[in-house]
Amino acid sequence: MKKSALIVMASVLSFSLSACGGVKNWENNLNDYVYSMNFHNNFNVLQLTDIHWNNNSSTTDSKQYLEKLFNEVDKHLKATQGNNAKIDLIELTGDQFMLSNSYHVKTFLQFFEEQAVKHGFMYAAIWGNHDRHGLYNPNWLGEQHKKAEHCIYIEEEDKLYGRSNFVINLNQGGSTKWQLFNLDSGASFSETAISPFRDYDYLRQDQVQWYIKENKAADFAPAIAYYHIPQQDNLAAWNRIHKENVNLKHKFFKLEGFADNGNEEYASDFIEVAGQQSLRAAFQGHAHNVDWTVELESGVVLGLGVKTGVELYYAHIDPADNDPALQEGLASVGINEKFDLIGASLVTLVDDNHFDLEHVYFNERTSGDFVKWVKW
Amino acid sequence: MKKFFDKENFLVSSFEKKAKAQSFVLAIAILLVFLITSFVFMNTLYVFADELGSIVSGNPDVAIKDFLRSLPIYLSLFCSIWTLLLLHATFRRVNDEKWHRSLKKDAICLLAFGGVSILYVFVGLIAGKYSSIVEGSPSAIYPLDSIIYSLVFIAIGVFVLVYLKKLEEKIPYVVPGRTDIVTKARPVYCIFVTFWMLIALFGLSGGLYSIFIYDFKHEFVFFGIAVILAYLISPIQLCAWEFFYNEIKPEKKKEMLLPLSLVSLGCSVTTVALYMISLSTGLDAPSNAGFGMFPVAFAASVNIATLIMVFTPLIVSVVALIKGLILRKQQ
Repeated sequence: MKKSALIVMASVLSFSLSACGGVKNWENNLNDYVYSMNFHNNFNVLQLTDIHWNNNSSTTDSKQYLEKLFNEVDKHLKATQGNNAKIDLIELTGDQFMLSNSYHVKTFLQFFEEQAVKHGFMYAAIWGNHDRHGLYNPNWLGEQHKKAEHCIYIEEEDKLYGRSNFVINLNQGGSTKWQLFNLDSGASFSETAISPFRDYDYLRQDQVQWYIKENKAADFAPAIAYYHIPQQDNLAAWNRIHKENVNLKHKFFKLEGFADNGNEEYASDFIEVAGQQSLRAAFQGHAHNVDWTVELESGVVLGLGVKTGVELYYAHIDPADNDPALQEGLASVGINEKFDLIGASLVTLVDDNHFDLEHVYFNERTSGDFVKWVKW
Repeated sequence: MKKFFDKENFLVSSFEKKAKAQSFVLAIAILLVFLITSFVFMNTLYVFADELGSIVSGNPDVAIKDFLRSLPIYLSLFCSIWTLLLLHATFRRVNDEKWHRSLKKDAICLLAFGGVSILYVFVGLIAGKYSSIVEGSPSAIYPLDSIIYSLVFIAIGVFVLVYLKKLEEKIPYVVPGRTDIVTKARPVYCIFVTFWMLIALFGLSGGLYSIFIYDFKHEFVFFGIAVILAYLISPIQLCAWEFFYNEIKPEKKKEMLLPLSLVSLGCSVTTVALYMISLSTGLDAPSNAGFGMFPVAFAASVNIATLIMVFTPLIVSVVALIKGLILRKQQ
């Protein structure tokens, strides 16, 4: 009896020790968070967000939608940039999954691997709040991404907040021309142990410091950040325009809240701090009925991507609806017919200093698919 | 303490050998079906939570489309629950007339749910609502798996109806009738026990899934263990109530309820305390360590499910304690 008790105690102790060991200090290992790609003018980054594969999804239908979308983007790029143009990188900005299981994850990655070979792109995966929300271990999900040949995903055992923070350096002629930051904006947290409600998470101080150091290591190359949950800056910009009449360039739709945590105590200074360095733009997902984009006074372009696919929820745009925000969005994009606010957003890094942004609204229809490209 | 384990205090002590064996087999069958039902329940909750999310976010059209696709999953849950009811009605038979009526009703329900499910899938296939019989999601062979699952329950329904016919000639089931455990306030009792059963179903699959789903890295180890305990306490408590307390002879129940409720309360308080301490050490833990266990709560960004899971066993223990005190006063 005593012997078996000792064996159990030893097992528990060794498990606890192994669980606590091997934590990396990110400050001394900045290179471990970098993935490098070759840069060329007209480098195309397609943002897909909130695909939300779940137990209700027909993966067959969803794959068909995504395949059509890739073909449309490919066609558009060839028409506007020439026959050699292609999608170079896909940024999956979170909530690829929600209430799903290992079948969804494996099918999703297998599909993206096939498409990556077909279209010649790499794809980077970022955590959304709901990606943790499935019948699988989050570590297993990370491992699956690491194993996928064309997937860019770095997850280190470190104290840096979030499961996965990494940067894609786009290099040319021995220097980094652009940096694409992929940040984990977390999921949610309780303010106290007995809170019945949960707040949406936010970018933490150590993530901001990590950005600063990684950007400095790349000689302050212009950078674009991708993360899932919008921070308070989006709402602040909207309010400055609509309540204080501040004149800022803005476009697209805002048909629901941005869904930041709305709490000053948990506000992030990422946009402010990174904007003072070399951040040129930050794109998020999370709020499906929003793709509103604004250029801040600092010159940073801040916006949400277009929700991809028909899972969970999305906005049905009807020009007959008198909602002022909807009408403002319609006027900004110049569309005068019914459509669903789903599709993708495309960033083209024109050269080592400029980028273009386009949103594509792509709806499958039996009478012929609806496609509208709208430039920023 | 000795009286807890005195065989003479339990109903089964007065059973004949065959009745004891039948009672044991039924108890095992109930536990097995309970386990299967708990996993079906978790998957149905996943489907339901997503649909609820669509409705809450202003897209009832998406919720309806999803519901129509996933209807066989709901029907699978009904089949599982009705099998559980059928087995329970047999295990806790009060008298033959009531039992036969209940068996017949439950068997017909199984045939109906199973039949509708199979028919629904075939109509869906013909109408093009399913692109193939193995369209995929939530499993690689959905909706074929729901057809196979339904066939199993149809077979159970047919077996029960044939068995009932044979009962008229010969009675192979010899477990004696038991006292109806519900005497007054039946509707309140039924609502309470149904809620408790659903929590226990959720807790069992949640607790077992957690072992594989939870991320036990870094500071999440303590939280993970506390949550698994919080999940498993409800099914353990329900199991103890059904197969221990309800198996005590009625005349012995009065003296045994109070000490039993104190044991239950001790376990519940420990679980709640562990959960609270673990949560206070890492308020990020639930969303990072395996939030898959809180489907509806997370979809709505509300922590209610966690609180329900942790506090239900506590409420059950307090109710038992109050009843125990009242019974002791009456003695």
